[in-house]
Amino acid sequence: MAIVTKEKTPPREAPLSNKSLIGWLRLNLFSSVFNTILSIVTLYIIYITAEGLLVWGVIDAVWIADTRRACFAINLDGACWAGIISWLDNIFYGRYPREELWRINLGFFLLVIWMAPLWLPRVKAKVTIGLTTVFLYPFLAGYLFAGGDKGIFMQIMYSAAILCLTGNTLHAVIGVVTGKGLPEFLMKFIGKSAVSEKGQRNILFGILGICFAAIYILQMGSSLESVTWTKWGGLFLTFVISGVGIASALPGGIILALGRRSKLPIIRVLSTAFIELFRSVPLITVLFMATTMFPLFLPEGFVLNKLTQVIIAVCLFNACYMAETVRAGLQAIPNGQYEGAHTIGLGYWGTMGFIIMPQALKHMIPNIVGSFIGILKDTTLVSIIGLFDILGMLRSISRDTPWLGLHKEPLVFGAMLFFLICFAMSKYSRRLETKLSTDHKN
Amino acid sequence: MTDLNTQITQSADQQLVSAASNEVIIDLSKVNKWYGTFHVLKDIDLVVHKGERIVVCGPSGSGKSTLIRCINHLEEHHEGNIVVDGITLDKNLKHIDHIRTEVGMVFQSFNLFPHLTILENLTLGPIWVRKMPKAEAEANAMMYLERVKIPEQADKYPGQLSGGQQQRVAIARSLCMNPKIMLFDEPTSALDPEMIKEVLDVMVELADTGMTMIVVTHEMGFAKTIADRVIFMDDGDIVEENEPNAFFNNPQHERTKLFLSQIL
Repeated sequence: MAIVTKEKTPPREAPLSNKSLIGWLRLNLFSSVFNTILSIVTLYIIYITAEGLLVWGVIDAVWIADTRRACFAINLDGACWAGIISWLDNIFYGRYPREELWRINLGFFLLVIWMAPLWLPRVKAKVTIGLTTVFLYPFLAGYLFAGGDKGIFMQIMYSAAILCLTGNTLHAVIGVVTGKGLPEFLMKFIGKSAVSEKGQRNILFGILGICFAAIYILQMGSSLESVTWTKWGGLFLTFVISGVGIASALPGGIILALGRRSKLPIIRVLSTAFIELFRSVPLITVLFMATTMFPLFLPEGFVLNKLTQVIIAVCLFNACYMAETVRAGLQAIPNGQYEGAHTIGLGYWGTMGFIIMPQALKHMIPNIVGSFIGILKDTTLVSIIGLFDILGMLRSISRDTPWLGLHKEPLVFGAMLFFLICFAMSKYSRRLETKLSTDHKN
Repeated sequence: MTDLNTQITQSADQQLVSAASNEVIIDLSKVNKWYGTFHVLKDIDLVVHKGERIVVCGPSGSGKSTLIRCINHLEEHHEGNIVVDGITLDKNLKHIDHIRTEVGMVFQSFNLFPHLTILENLTLGPIWVRKMPKAEAEANAMMYLERVKIPEQADKYPGQLSGGQQQRVAIARSLCMNPKIMLFDEPTSALDPEMIKEVLDVMVELADTGMTMIVVTHEMGFAKTIADRVIFMDDGDIVEENEPNAFFNNPQHERTKLFLSQIL
């Protein structure tokens, strides 16, 4: 017997759940008696917590006052944000000379300028831009922050960084406007686009050399006043330590992870020992060791300041953690990928650089960003060994005479600040993951 | 499966004209290999001439995949000599790298690079190993994509393609390196039946161009069509070696007879 459907079935409206707020509420929060009770209790707990916080932090809070006593005079039960506001500069910049603050602001602004092309859609050569950020920006920022006399090495790196920043920015602007790269545009501009690839490269190197020389000569005339590291502090110091830690963790981790998987026994054993040593010791111990032990290993008369020691310790520590993350990523890559790469003639570095690492790192983005967030939070430990990073600064508010005993507000403020930064990082990592996904699993 | 085999035999109808010359391109002598204590290749002797097309068959675990993987040193042999295109495979990494640029290989599981587009998959080797200018490498890649009949997929990622399409991309990727020899390690075993034909068609066309090919496969129709020689392996030995007509119609060894009776 044949079954024939003569009439089309007319479309009906979607069921309640997907359509309205009430439908959603009923299905998800009040679907059964137990569920309803649970929802009401939870909502009540959220309400009393949030209400308390709101009354303390906003409604009863005092925003303008000169001392903590004045705060109490206005409202005894509210938060005294006036203390935070009067300390804001200290919280962000530490004891950095107030007339030199523009250097810090400029430094971070330049970082934004440097990295902005990475987010612009039509710009090419993003890997190169990323690499220059990691390897050249620290010199530019380092000089801006520290100032003083430039050694010959510093002069070269400083000039290179400026050249690179200018090039990057031009490249990005041209990319957005025309969709071309800077080299291509330059060739067309000076009318040499028909020259062979090698000839074009020579011309480009020529232009690069002339620009470098010009910048080098220009920068010789200028110098910035020296600001010693003891004056660095606050969020600025936290960003410096964790920034260097984050920037060096990934390259260091990749090298250590490759070392641990090396076929050469000596490299493998050394890498493994190094990784395991640092991973089995708490960071605070590493920090204490760094400040007391490093001087013993250094040649006589060679003195490292405490900040440098701390930064080196943070870098080594985090590189070891990153190494294990990278290694996990490497282990997730099937053998066939190595074989595929070998059969098109790629050697070890080609296979790793083009095929294995990009995939491994992509798999590990959530873990890598997780480590980055960990690094940012862990650097607050340096306040224990006497550096005034953001936590150190927040805690010294309570020792300042007008604000004596102001403990709660600074810590709440610090928590909110950290939450904002870390939440932004983790959100960004989720976006990056979706963007880089080429698996098409769904 | 039998349907498909007859189909292919009929479509090509007669055996392709052999392109084999007298020039030796692969020479294996007394090759031995162990996996742990398991003796997987036993005193293998094999000479392949330029332009020759060889099909290797045999039950699983017989060492046929290992044999061709030794030829481009994906597996290391322990004893004996392997000479490919005049170069002896030894510990010297330069020799290995050189041989790998001359020998293309296609795998059962494709092994395309999932993070690169099809075009990037095809141009990576030519640009970085052969040092070819990018524009030339891309034109070359598009030419090979035309040949495997999927030029419209160039900008997609491997994950967006069907198995048959992926395997054809893998063949094109090897061809882009302009190899002298092509190795196929069960290229159709992971494919749905209707996709097997599209891959085999590409391979028949490739055979037609005079490429030296060694194919490990269970597609006996394909073997009849293109092979100059069929090699039957069992337990690490080359048990029987003959031209296809004689091999299929008049097998000599008991084990060959048993194998053919099971598979045909």
